[in-house]
This record gives sequence, structure tokens and C-alpha cells, in this order.
Amino acid sequence: MEQTKTRRPIKRWIVLLVIILNVFAVRAFPPVRPHIQLPPETLFPIFGDFYLTNTLVATAIADILLLLMAFFFSRSIKAGKMVLTGVSGVLELLLEALYNLTESTAGKWAKTIFPWFATIVLVVLIANWMEVIPGVDSIGLLHHSEEGSPVQELAPGIMAVVKGDPEHESGEEGGYVVVPFVRVASTDLNFTAAIALVSVVMTQVIGIRALGLGYFTKFFNVKGLFTKPVFGVLDFAVGFLELISEFSKILSFSFRLFGNVFAGSVLLFVIGSLVPVFAQSAILVFEFLVGMIQAIVFGLLTMIFMSVATQGHGDEHGAEH
Amino acid sequence: MTGDIVLAAKLIGAGLAMIGVIGGGIGIGVVVGGAVQAMGRNPDYAGPIQTTMFIGIAFSEAVAIYALVIALIILFVPLG
Repeated sequence: MEQTKTRRPIKRWIVLLVIILNVFAVRAFPPVRPHIQLPPETLFPIFGDFYLTNTLVATAIADILLLLMAFFFSRSIKAGKMVLTGVSGVLELLLEALYNLTESTAGKWAKTIFPWFATIVLVVLIANWMEVIPGVDSIGLLHHSEEGSPVQELAPGIMAVVKGDPEHESGEEGGYVVVPFVRVASTDLNFTAAIALVSVVMTQVIGIRALGLGYFTKFFNVKGLFTKPVFGVLDFAVGFLELISEFSKILSFSFRLFGNVFAGSVLLFVIGSLVPVFAQSAILVFEFLVGMIQAIVFGLLTMIFMSVATQGHGDEHGAEH
Repeated sequence: MTGDIVLAAKLIGAGLAMIGVIGGGIGIGVVVGGAVQAMGRNPDYAGPIQTTMFIGIAFSEAVAIYALVIALIILFVPLG
């Protein structure tokens, strides 16, 4: 405690120095208008029509990070430490909180539901947090494009896109745009739709495992159709609505994550080109929070839908429970 | 000159699509208002109320995000 008081506060001067350097860097290289594209950019074809996209690279990096985390976690458990430290400690804290939440919601099905919940949270969390790493979305190959900007060679083989009007360039018309090596995985609708499909399909599987074939009476409620003329038909219609809502879950899961993260990265591009000095840092903190909240919401909704699927209709079979 | 009209229509369309966000905003306001009232009356149940509140926010936000995605598609997907 004494040491921290007597130590000179050096970090704030480093921050100030970086901001001043930032001002000079912006004077030397004015920001270009961002090139925004909704579908992921392709890097090179692997075979036939199957291209390696830059979001696929990001997904692979996220997977490798997860595997490394799992490896270190299991190693530090096998080492027999009572208190886990470092990354394993944080992971343990997170998993414990998630498990307690699952147990309080799902009860005895917690052990079945928890792996899906925790996996989705971790994958989406790491995929979202890649957005705040510098170099993601900004380092990549140059592609010739009609509405690009001219380039300038900084060092042999390393180019920077600089500001300029492509139409007034003398040599060739058009300019270049950067196709980044790594683009955040959640800005690709394929990634979010894949996780949404896994989530919704596994919800049905867990529901069938819990209730047997009786699970489908939730969707095709023919029980009261002939005994109770009015309310039976109403129940059947409600079951049909349940079926539709099951499909709309896929849509809302995938669009929610995709929309939030893609809008966040567009915001980062636009702020970065309008106010190139320091303003992006505040947005980065905001994106950090949004990424965390979206990951938790995705996992939490999956967990809640799964635990609802394991419970039958309580009001009809109230006596059996 | 024709390209400019298409661009203008695109921008106006994206702006009109974002009107739908009003609904999501009202929804989130109602949800959080209700949750804060409930927490104020019953602070012991703040935890479960907060969880339910976030789920409600996520649902009503999803509707706003649809509008946002439509606007982004209009803006950033090239025509034809």
C-alpha cells in the first residue's frame, strides 16, 4: 500500500503520450472512409465454391482459444491445486455462477442443460470480444475496387490505405480496399444462425428426452379437440402458434446477436473515421459491455427455453405432480 | 444522375426502416420502469426481477434489431 502511494503515477502520462502520438499519426495519415460490407469477405478459395472467409478465420481462432483454456483448466485441476489461479480461476468463477443459475432455473435437468448453456456463452463471448483487439478488421490484403482509396508504400511489402479521391488519381481509376484477415465472427449471419439452430434443435431434443412423445402435444394439441368443442379448437390454435414461435426463435436468436455486433463494428468504423483521436476508446468499452451482455443473453435464453421444454403443461396435469 | 436517385432512395429507405426502433425503445422503457418499481417495493427480490428484466429487454430489443438489420441490409448490400 505504501509503495503504490510513493510511486510516481506513470500510467496516465503514457496514456497522454499515446494520445499526442495519435494526433500526429492522424495528421500524417488522415482516416479513410470505411468500406462496409454485409457478407463476409472471401480470402481465397479452398476448393470449388467453398471459400475461406475472414469470419471463418475468426471462428477458428476463437475455437483454438477455447481449447487452450480447456487444456489449462484441466491441467490445473489435475495438478491438485485447491485454489485455481489466473485464467483457470476466472473460468471457474464464471462456470460456477452459470451453474448456480442453471440449477435454480432447471432443477434436476441442470446437468443436461448446463453444457449447452456454458458452451454457447463461452463461444459467443470470445467471438464478440475479438472486436476490441487492435488489428482485427484493419490488417489484411488489398483488393482492387472501384470505390477504394489510393495506397502508399510504408515499407517493402507493407502498404497503407491513404485518403484521396479515386477519380483524380492519374495512373489507374479506382483504388484499393482492405480485406481484413480476421473479421469478428458474430458479424457473419452464418455463425449466429448456426448457433441458433444448435440451440433450438437441442431444445427439442431435451424436451423429448424429458417428456417422451408427449412433448409434441405442446404443438399438436388434439386432446380436447373432440371433447370440448370451443376450447379444444382454441387449444389447437395455441399449439400451432407455439410451433410458429419455435421457428421464429431461430430468426430472433441469430438476428439479435448479428445485429448488435455488426451495428457495433459499423459504429466503430464510423467513429474512427469521423473523430480519429481517442473517441474510439469510449466506444470500445461500450462494445466490450455489449459483447458480454449479448453472450449472456444468448446463453440465458437458450437455458430458459430448454428448462421450459423439460416441464410439461403444469395446469392440465396438476394432480400428477 | 440516375445513380444518385437510387442512392437517395436507399438512404431514405434506411431511415424509414429505423422508425421501427421506436417500438423497441418504448418496450424497453416499460420493462425497466416496471422492474425498477418492483425492486423498489421489494428489494429482497431484486435478483430474480433483474434476471427477468434482462430477458424482457432482450425480447423487445430483438424487434428493434430486426429494423436495424433491415436498415443495414439496405445500406450495405449492393443492388443487383
